[in-house]
Amino acid sequence: MPDSLPLLLTPRMEPITQSVLTEGALLRQLTDGLGSPLNVVLPEALDDNVEGFRAVYRHHRLRGQIYFAHKANRSSALLRHLAATDAGVDVASLGELQHALGSGFGPGRIMATGPKNREFLWLAARSGITVNADSLDELSELAALVAAGRLPRVRVMVRLAEFASRGVRMVSRRSRFGVPSGQLSEALDRVEKHADQLELTGVAYHLDTIGLAEKAIALESCLVALDECRRRDRAAWSIDIGGGFGVDYLADGQQWERYTSELAQAMLGRRAPLTWNEHGYGLRNEAGTLRGTLGLYPASRPDSGPGYLGRLLSATAPEQRRPLGTLLLDSMCDLDIEPGRALLDQCGLVLARVLEVREGADLLVRLDLNARDVSLEEHGVLMDPVVIPRDGNAVPETTEVYLLGNLCLESDLITRRKVVLPVRPRPGDLLAFVNTAGYFMDFSATRALHQPIGRKVALFRQGGSWSWCLDEHYWPVHESREAA
Amino acid sequence: MRYEDMTEAIGNTPLVRIDPAVHGLRNIDLYAKMELLNPFGSLKDRAAWQMARPLLAGAAERGDTVVELSSGNTAKALAMIAGMHGLRFKSVTNRMKVPEVKDLLLLLGAEIDELPGQAECLDPSDTEDPLSRMHRTLTSNGSGYVHTDQYFNERNVEAHQHGTGPEIVKDLDGRAPDYFVACVGTAGSSTGVARALRQHDPDVRVIGLVAAKSDFIPGIRTIDEVHEVGLFEPGVYDAIETITADEAIDGLLTLVRRCGTPAGPTGGGAFHGAVRHLRTVDAGLTERRTAVFIVCDRVESYLSYLRERRPALFGRPPRRNDTRGLDEAEIAAAPTADVEEARRWPGLVVDLRSPYAFQALHIDGSINIVDELFAELLHGGLPFSRRQPVLLVCPVGEKSARYAALLTRMGHPSVRSLAGGIIAWRDAGARLVRD
Ligand SMILES: Cc1ncc(COP(=O)(O)O)c(C=O)c1O
Ligand SMILES: Cc1ncc(COP(=O)(O)O)c(C=O)c1O
Repeated sequence: MPDSLPLLLTPRMEPITQSVLTEGALLRQLTDGLGSPLNVVLPEALDDNVEGFRAVYRHHRLRGQIYFAHKANRSSALLRHLAATDAGVDVASLGELQHALGSGFGPGRIMATGPKNREFLWLAARSGITVNADSLDELSELAALVAAGRLPRVRVMVRLAEFASRGVRMVSRRSRFGVPSGQLSEALDRVEKHADQLELTGVAYHLDTIGLAEKAIALESCLVALDECRRRDRAAWSIDIGGGFGVDYLADGQQWERYTSELAQAMLGRRAPLTWNEHGYGLRNEAGTLRGTLGLYPASRPDSGPGYLGRLLSATAPEQRRPLGTLLLDSMCDLDIEPGRALLDQCGLVLARVLEVREGADLLVRLDLNARDVSLEEHGVLMDPVVIPRDGNAVPETTEVYLLGNLCLESDLITRRKVVLPVRPRPGDLLAFVNTAGYFMDFSATRALHQPIGRKVALFRQGGSWSWCLDEHYWPVHESREAA
Repeated sequence: MRYEDMTEAIGNTPLVRIDPAVHGLRNIDLYAKMELLNPFGSLKDRAAWQMARPLLAGAAERGDTVVELSSGNTAKALAMIAGMHGLRFKSVTNRMKVPEVKDLLLLLGAEIDELPGQAECLDPSDTEDPLSRMHRTLTSNGSGYVHTDQYFNERNVEAHQHGTGPEIVKDLDGRAPDYFVACVGTAGSSTGVARALRQHDPDVRVIGLVAAKSDFIPGIRTIDEVHEVGLFEPGVYDAIETITADEAIDGLLTLVRRCGTPAGPTGGGAFHGAVRHLRTVDAGLTERRTAVFIVCDRVESYLSYLRERRPALFGRPPRRNDTRGLDEAEIAAAPTADVEEARRWPGLVVDLRSPYAFQALHIDGSINIVDELFAELLHGGLPFSRRQPVLLVCPVGEKSARYAALLTRMGHPSVRSLAGGIIAWRDAGARLVRD
């Protein structure tokens, strides 16, 4: 039964995003002046997201730090705005650490994660931030740098991986990162050996999965690890559970369900194709049976972000059979988190100008940006852009289009999905790809073909209307400037 | 009846009439095929035995493990069959959501591998899902596994084509029913029965039932997932209809409460789906018709599933001495002791935290009664003498305040809650020990 209604994937837009989209004149002026594509960040939106996580902490009576995973966006405005809240930052490179220090984060609010080179370790030790060690050798290398430079003791956490489950064996994806949890005592030996250089504050994990059950096993294993630290008279009080809380991208879960059902039907040849060259996003048709798995981010996730953290804390620990949040509290343990994507919910959008609308078998819309400028497709997130008409008055007309990028590459489609727009785009209109601050804005952008990388501006509300500045010029002091 | 082993008891299940006063159809005789009476507990005993039988000898010789992707009934049956032949059994699954089934499989000696959730950060170069990867390792030669492959194995269909289907015809005195209704998991039973019935009467109408897309009914597929099943042939069914978990539970309740049939959710779903479909036909009929649906398995394995979805069914009377009966004012007025006072506490110190946390670090001389257990004790009355002063300790002083309020209400004169809990104690630098 093919479905004939238009297959919309309307993005979820909170009031802050909606408010920015009503500023058509401002957005057109900005893209006229600064070029297409243009990245827009909305630092204010961070406040609600930090508060959302804090509310979960309060509900579970937990203490601990929220470290923003900087890798999700390079913006200075976002980082500086966050420095004005009580959140911290998780840095995964030397450059990110320099950026964090220069944005106003004190060392107590910075955590270094991921594998690190010597320069990164040195600046981490010298500035006194916490080092979340990715391997045993990293602990030794850090200790050697501290000893050689006669630096103060450095706070460290040990990132654990490969957690074991009993009864039902949980198969987890292999990871390149962290110390296998079976080697905990070696890690603790290593820290004790360098007791003059390293101070253990806790253990950590980050799992790249949306599966709650895997994370529950990891969190309970970390509690056991902390217990082991205490047995050795190492008072460690923190568990860092990494990121991966997810974002709910779509306004209407039904649209997602319909779209994915219809995509399966299209792959089975039971309806007209929904994608360029019948791309299946991981699904394939083998003799009438659907094989493979849908390689898409589950764009409709009502229980994401703070809600996901809440569910994890309320989940029952598989061994101790008590809610994980309660166990953390019982153990007097602080909970640290490293959300990237989830903290950037609603924090920005990417604007692109329509260059050409070409009629043919399909309507092709060529944009002045490429698939790396807004890397939704690379990350498997399907959601519709919003049309901002060039002269302010759009004619409603449901239109199916393919969105082409500005590289001369066959593969440069903004998305291989046929997109349904509620108005027919015309050259000169803008398309807004909303809610793209987390990973889709500057993570993959390149200067291939000498195409420009989008400029970044920060939009903020001042005296009841929207103002803007270049991202690098934003400091969270505009309110007081006005008051003066 | 005397058998050599339990597999001989598979099949030949009764066909039982559903009382018209229950289903309300005027012109249709509705029968249930009672597959729940199979020895290992379900319809899947037939498929499991049919698929495993030719593999057993070779597997025993090589010492192979029998393996299947199954979330429940097939795994149960295969675990039993493997056990009878001295073989090991492993179930690989990403959908085992019913704890009783999981525990039962472990009890039967099965190994369970659970597949991971989707990656949070998509890796577009990873084109193969964990399931296909698993599938490939299982089927490679010398893997140490024999894979029964229920979603693709034609013997799954044959079990029903030569067993379930002909039994129905025999019990209807050599006639096929006009309607056949079944839930679709692997599609083995519906496809096999449909084939057998249509040999007798090509006009039999076959209705396949699946779960609505975002719903979950243990044992069957959703409207989308069904396309991933190798045995699924859309042409077999005159209609594919969806049922919700709610409807399946309604049907289950009717079967267990009014029909003497302890059916599981898919039996309930099949009953509900059958009546819903047949009601539209019934009114226009001028002659009698017959319909058959399948009751796949039993209700006992699904108690937690039912409890989660219909807590009201399990409502118990409130118990006495429950902290939930306290009002805010009573809790706010609970007597507390600060860290200084607590350091000099003359009586009993009861720590309500988990045993692991207690063993790791606690206040010297305290005893551990985890809050759940403490709550249970209090339902029975005061667990210590009124002359014994008691200091209650929890993480931040909230739970202990509730229990202090409750004990006060129960007439204990000298109970206190440690203000700010053990975290405040630690933060004040007071001593914590481990024994
Ligand atoms: C160590 C670590 N922490 C945090 C994150 C952030 O994850 P997310 O953006 O999904 O919250 C990542 C992402 O790769 C990571 O590797
Ligand atoms: C409880 C339950 N009901 C119904 C079915 C459907 O049977 P089939 O796999 O033959 O389609 C199954 C199959 O696993 C099941 O476990």
